[in-house]
Amino acid sequence: MLDRYGIVAIFALLAVIFPAIPLLLSLVIRPKKPNQSKKATYECGLEFEDFPEEAQNVWVQFRVQYYLFALIFVVFDIEVVYLYPWAVAYNTLGPFALVEMIVFLGILILALAYAWRNGLLEWT
Amino acid sequence: MIPLQFYLIVAAILFCLGLFGALARRNAVAILMGIELMLNAVNINLVAFWRYVKPAAPTMDLAGQIFALFVVTLAAAEAAIGLALIIAIYRSRDTVNVEDVDLMKW
Amino acid sequence: MLISPELILAIFGMLVLVVDLIGRARTREWLPWVTVLGFVLAFAATLYIWGSNASIFAGMYSVDMFSLFFKLLATIAGTMIVLVSIDYLRGRTTRQGEFFSIFTFSILAMTMMASSASLLMIYLSIEFLSYTSYLLTGFLREDKKSNEAALKYFLYGAITSAVMLYGLSLLYGVSGSLNLTDIATAFANTVDPSVRTVALVAPALVLAGLGFKISLVPFHQWAPDAYEGAPTPVTAFLSVGPKAVGFAILLRVALTTLPIYQASWIPLLAVISIITMTLGNLVALRQTNIKRLLAYSSIAQAGYMLIGLVGVNLTGNSPFSGLNGVLIYLFAYLFTNLGAFICVIAIENATGAVNIADYAGLVRRAPFVAALFIIFFLSLAGIPPTAGFIGKFFVFGAALREGFLTLAAIGVINSIISVFYYFAVIRAAFFLDAKDPSPIRITPLVTAMLTVTAAMVLLIAVYPQPLFNLAAWSMGMFGVVK
Repeated sequence: MLDRYGIVAIFALLAVIFPAIPLLLSLVIRPKKPNQSKKATYECGLEFEDFPEEAQNVWVQFRVQYYLFALIFVVFDIEVVYLYPWAVAYNTLGPFALVEMIVFLGILILALAYAWRNGLLEWT
Repeated sequence: MIPLQFYLIVAAILFCLGLFGALARRNAVAILMGIELMLNAVNINLVAFWRYVKPAAPTMDLAGQIFALFVVTLAAAEAAIGLALIIAIYRSRDTVNVEDVDLMKW
Repeated sequence: MLISPELILAIFGMLVLVVDLIGRARTREWLPWVTVLGFVLAFAATLYIWGSNASIFAGMYSVDMFSLFFKLLATIAGTMIVLVSIDYLRGRTTRQGEFFSIFTFSILAMTMMASSASLLMIYLSIEFLSYTSYLLTGFLREDKKSNEAALKYFLYGAITSAVMLYGLSLLYGVSGSLNLTDIATAFANTVDPSVRTVALVAPALVLAGLGFKISLVPFHQWAPDAYEGAPTPVTAFLSVGPKAVGFAILLRVALTTLPIYQASWIPLLAVISIITMTLGNLVALRQTNIKRLLAYSSIAQAGYMLIGLVGVNLTGNSPFSGLNGVLIYLFAYLFTNLGAFICVIAIENATGAVNIADYAGLVRRAPFVAALFIIFFLSLAGIPPTAGFIGKFFVFGAALREGFLTLAAIGVINSIISVFYYFAVIRAAFFLDAKDPSPIRITPLVTAMLTVTAAMVLLIAVYPQPLFNLAAWSMGMFGVVK
């Protein structure tokens, strides 16, 4: 029983060490040239001007493009739910399963192409 | 092993919480979250039933697990469509409160 | 070959999208005709596999005569709705390709619902149809009413489908199987009293999802708003498509999975039927918008159809088996209700008006449409010589045969109530003076569709034998049950 928890403990330790290594490494080797822009609070995709100096208000409106990107991302994210059992069982399914999966992915790619062509991926 | 009832009770509680949220909240996004909770309750049910109802050959018949996978995907599709409709509403009238969406009555 | 109608619909749904993607403006003019070609091919494919009785995909998908009946219905409805939506969409949206693609997929979802023989397929196909319907309802993005209709439809649909899903998971739990016939076997073999309890509760939860699709009270609240706000061809689709295949699943579940509990679900359905038709008819009396009026009317119609399932009795050789009543009613209702909505579309295309008050003096402005309104409303009210009468005759007959005298009487009283609000429209059209007496121009395609639906409504009434045969073939597979 205890050795099982030992495995968990080792994993927990590794989970801390692995991300720590690159962080420490970059701390050591990166050049240090701070400026105003770099020190400002940053959130992915929000432009610097979006934040007024007086308040770092998080209740700002997000651009609708986020949602469109997220939507297309979700499609390909969820698709993996089907890819995984398919890959596990692939040896017993035979080559026809490959054709089926290509058809399935083809349908998804058609949808992506449609979204692309209609300008949903433009960040304007 | 934990008896089946425990899973079912957790699922039932979760389902009722979700249903309450979906019926009582006025923010369309919060309603959507309630619905997701209900779907997750169903997933617990499905996987628990799969494990306990046919324990003799759980690896041969994966029906319950597969069903749960499909529920996960459909929940994502549902959320996507729901959010798209909510955004359309928001663009046309600046609100996501379902009580303010009342052009049509009776 | 057995799934060729579905394959054709899926391919055409994507083909429309591809043509829309790479085609020029001139090519896009052909999109509705490509869609229609897909429906016609799917219809032909259904006829080609006519008579098959197979269970495929590990018993999940059942290609039998019952499902083929609904596939015919789906492709017919699809063809007619595409043809009337061409003129309607012109000027209202620039994204026609998207519309026709989503619409093709919703017809595909209908054919899949008709064949579903497993809990998983039932859930998947119902959700497929729901999602496409939500999108079609909210298709006019800039239109506030269309938005609102779609949101309400979506919220009701999402909640009821989650409740249904919970019921499905319980059915799986007590039987250990997703297959409808295996569940029936498990129920028949069990001695556990708790299974019986769950077998009563779980179908009631499932009924929430199906009742939503069929618009049975108390799951009907979405219908008037969704019908009013949706683009009118979509309203026409919502009033016949989801309702028909919702009945397909309801009938299949009731007659293959739950026949041994028939004694317990019949009273429940009888009560729902009474409430549905009474509420639908009474609220319809005070409507001023024709789309809302037809919405409540279609809620009431669902109540009448349910009478057929209450009076179901597949033993013996009676012409009133209840099941055939539902099928005949659905077929008659398809043409009648589509016809009524095409009348509405014809007027809306020319004038934009959807209020009953705007129909004043219609007999002078558009005599053809006014005359056809009479035919369709007679049929909806169930007055001979129309298709609606044949349908009502068979469902009420089944109820009487099984001794549900009160139910049949309430059905007849409701039919009489319905005459009042149908007549209110007729009165406006024939006996009131128009504010603007200029004639209304009806486009040729819409005229053609009106002629076809009206002809079918009358033809079914004077020569119903082919429809009787169709219904008898379609229900043949249920003969072995109980």
